[in-house]
Amino acid sequence: MIKTIFFTVLTLAFFYIVWINNIFAPHEKYEMPPEHRMIAMDYKNAKEGRELFIQNCASCHSVRYDAIYPAQVQANPMLKQLQEKYGKVLPRDVYEAVFMNDLNSMKESYGKIPPDLSTIYLVKGPEYLYNFILEPQKVLPGTAMPPVMTGRPEDTAKIIAYLMSVSEPSPAEKAKRNIMGVVTIGYLIVMGILIWIWRERILKRMGLH
Amino acid sequence: METSRRDILGFAVGGLGVLGAIGVLYPIVKVLSPSQASLAGAKVEVDVSQIPDLHVRVVSWKGKPVFVVKLPQGFQWNGKRINDQNAKLLQGQDAYALVAVCTHLGCVPLWKPQGEGEFKYPVFHCPCHGGFYSPWGDNIAGPPPRPLYVPPQKREGNKLIIGEEGFVKELT
Amino acid sequence: MIGRIGRWFDERGKLSKLWQSQMVDYKVPKNLTFPYAFGVMATVAFLIQIISGIFLVMYYQPNIHTAFDSVNYTIMKEIPFMWLIRHIHAAGANFFLAIVYLHIFAGIYYNAYKKPRELTWIVGFFIYFVLLATALSGYLLPWGQLSYWGMVVTTEIPTSIDSAPIIGKLKIGETISVWMKGGYELGQITLGRFFGLHIWLLPLILLGLVGFHFYLIRAHGITSPDGREIDKKKEGVPFHPYMTLKEGVYLMVYLAIFFFFVFFYMKHFLPADNYDPADPFKTPAHIAPEWYLLAFYAIFRSIPNKFLGFVMFSVALLLLLILPFLDFSPLRSTRNRPLFFVMFVVLVISSMALTILGSMSPTPTVAFLGLIFTLTFVSFFISLPIISILELRKYKAEGGSKND
Repeated sequence: MIKTIFFTVLTLAFFYIVWINNIFAPHEKYEMPPEHRMIAMDYKNAKEGRELFIQNCASCHSVRYDAIYPAQVQANPMLKQLQEKYGKVLPRDVYEAVFMNDLNSMKESYGKIPPDLSTIYLVKGPEYLYNFILEPQKVLPGTAMPPVMTGRPEDTAKIIAYLMSVSEPSPAEKAKRNIMGVVTIGYLIVMGILIWIWRERILKRMGLH
Repeated sequence: METSRRDILGFAVGGLGVLGAIGVLYPIVKVLSPSQASLAGAKVEVDVSQIPDLHVRVVSWKGKPVFVVKLPQGFQWNGKRINDQNAKLLQGQDAYALVAVCTHLGCVPLWKPQGEGEFKYPVFHCPCHGGFYSPWGDNIAGPPPRPLYVPPQKREGNKLIIGEEGFVKELT
Repeated sequence: MIGRIGRWFDERGKLSKLWQSQMVDYKVPKNLTFPYAFGVMATVAFLIQIISGIFLVMYYQPNIHTAFDSVNYTIMKEIPFMWLIRHIHAAGANFFLAIVYLHIFAGIYYNAYKKPRELTWIVGFFIYFVLLATALSGYLLPWGQLSYWGMVVTTEIPTSIDSAPIIGKLKIGETISVWMKGGYELGQITLGRFFGLHIWLLPLILLGLVGFHFYLIRAHGITSPDGREIDKKKEGVPFHPYMTLKEGVYLMVYLAIFFFFVFFYMKHFLPADNYDPADPFKTPAHIAPEWYLLAFYAIFRSIPNKFLGFVMFSVALLLLLILPFLDFSPLRSTRNRPLFFVMFVVLVISSMALTILGSMSPTPTVAFLGLIFTLTFVSFFISLPIISILELRKYKAEGGSKND
C-alpha cells in the first residue's frame, strides 16, 4: 500500500514537472500592466487593432493568414490577380516566388525580411510582444525594428488583441470547444462508472467475486 | 426485479456506447466535408468590353469554369429550339455568363461560332457525347437533359459581376 | 433477420469460437494490479495515433514551403474539427510514450522479462526504439523552428563517432549523418523521407512488432504480481469479462485524463517555439529535445567527451536491451526481492532526475548532477548480477522452494 502511494505520487509529481510546470527549466518573464493586458486579451479590440496594424505595421510586416501583405507587395498589381486565382490567403511558395523582388528590397533596407506575424502571438505571448513593440531596442538590442509605437501602450495592446485574434479561436469557437471538452470527459466518466457497476453485477452472477 | 434492473444497465451501457461512437464519427464526417474556402461565394468581375463580339472567355467561379459570352448588337439566331428557358432568362443581354459544365456528364463544351456538323450557326458543342447547346445554353440536340446552368450575375456598365444578384438572381 | 445474418456469418467466420478461445477460456491471475493495464492503454494510444494520423495526412503537405502553413493554417484554422485531430495526435504521441515508459517500468518491477519471456522483453525494447524513431520523424513534419533544429541536432549525433581516437579518421559518423539527411543540409529531401518513414515504414514495423509482442504474451501467459506462475486449469479467472471490464474502466479514466489535455492544456504538447516557421539561419534560444528523450540527452550532455557521451548513451540503451540476461535470479517479482526493490527505486529516481536535468540550462552543477545520476542509473544494471548471485545462494540454502 505504501509502495503504491509512493510510486503514484512520484509519477504524478514527475509528469506535473515535465508536462505542466517545469520549475527547473529556464524561463523569461516580461511584465505587462494589468489594464493593458485587459485590452490585449479582449477579442472585441481586434477590429480596431487591425486598423492600427495596417496603419503602423503593415508597411513592413505581413499577416498572411489574414491576407495582410506589406505595403510594397500590396502595391504590386500581381497581388490581385494571384488572389483571384489562389484565394485571399496566398500559398507561401507562390507568395515568396512572385514577390521575391519586393521582399528582397525590404531585406536590403532592414537586413532581413521583416517576419510574417500570422503566428507570432503563439510564439512570443502577449507580454513579450507588448514590451518589444513599445521599446524594441530595450528587449532585443540591435534589432532592425523601429520604435513606431513608443509612447502608445493602449494602441499597442489593441494590436496585440488583433494578433491574438489571428492565432487563437474566436470566443464563440472557444466556448464551443470547452463545452465539447466537458461533454467528452463527462461521457468517459459516466461510461467508466456504468462499466464498473455492470462488471460488479456480472461477477456476482458468475460467482467470481 | 433483478433482471429488469440488469437490462436497464445493459441498455445504458450499450446506448452510451452508441452515443460515443456517434460522437467520434461526428468530427470525422465534419473533417471530410467540403472546406469552407471552396464553398465561399466568390465573386468574379469580368470587363466585357475586352471580349470581342461573338467570342467566349472562360473564367473560374467557385472552382468551376464559366463561359462569358459576348454577342454582337442585334444578334439574330434562328437555330433549332427545343426549349428556351435560358434564352428567356438572358433576353436582351449582350454579355452573360453560363456555367461551362455539360449537364450530361460534366465535360466542358466548346464554343463553335461557325457552327458544327448539321448546325450551321453559332452553338456550344460538347465533344464527349455530342451534346449541342444554343448560345444561351439551351440544349438543342444530343444527350444533355437540361440547359447549361446560369450563375447569379449582375451588369454594371462594362463590368459583368458573376456571383452577385442582378439580372440573374440565383443559380438556375 | 439480423440474428440470421449473424448466425450465417458466424458459422462461416467462426468468430465466436475465436472469442471464446482467446477471451473467455484464456485465464489470467486474479490478482493483477493496476500497472498491468498499461499494455492495453498503450494499444489504445497506438490506435488513436493511427486513426488521427490518417486524417492528418489528408491535409498535410510534405513540402518545405507549404508544410508549415498546411499545419498551422489549413489544419488548425480552415478545416472544421481538424484542430481537434491535431491536438489528439500531438497529445496522443506524448501519452503513448508516457504509457510505454510506465509499461516498461511495470515490466521491470514485476520481473516480466524473466524466462521464458526474454523474447517478449526484447521485442518490447524494439517497439520502444522504433517508437522513438517514429516520434522523432513526426516531430519534423510541422516544419517549425523546434522541428527543424531538433532534427539538426539529431542528425548530428552520429558525428560523435568521428571524435573517437582511431575510427574517427574514417568519418563514419559524417557519412551516416549525410545519409540520414539525404544531403549536406536539412531540406526537401529530408522532409520527404522522414514523412514517408513516419506515415508508412515505421508504423508498419511497429504493427508487426506489436503483433509479435501480443502473440508472445498469449503464448507464455501473463505474469502475476507475486511472481508465481498460475496453474491455468485450476486457478485464474476468465480474461473476459473479469479483466476486460476492469481494464475498460481504467481505459475510461485514462481517456478522460487524455481528453482533458486535448481540450484544455495543449501548451506543452504544441510548444510555442514551434509556431515559428523553420529558419535555417537562426537557432531558437532554448533548444532541448522532447521530454521522452531528455534522460538520454542528460547522459549525453553530462559527459565532457563527445565520443564517450555517445558511447554512454548507447550503453544505456543496450543495458535496457540485455536486462533479461543481467538478472538471472530464480526469484520473480519485486515483491519477493527487497534488494531489487531498493535498486528499482534508484533506477526510477535517477531516470526521473536525468529527465529533469536534461531540461535545465547546462551549468557545471547540472553537468555534475547529471554525471552522478548517470552513474546511479547504470548502477541498477550493474547491481543486477550481484543481487542475482546473492539471491541464488539464499535460494539454494533454503532448499529451492519456489518464490513463495
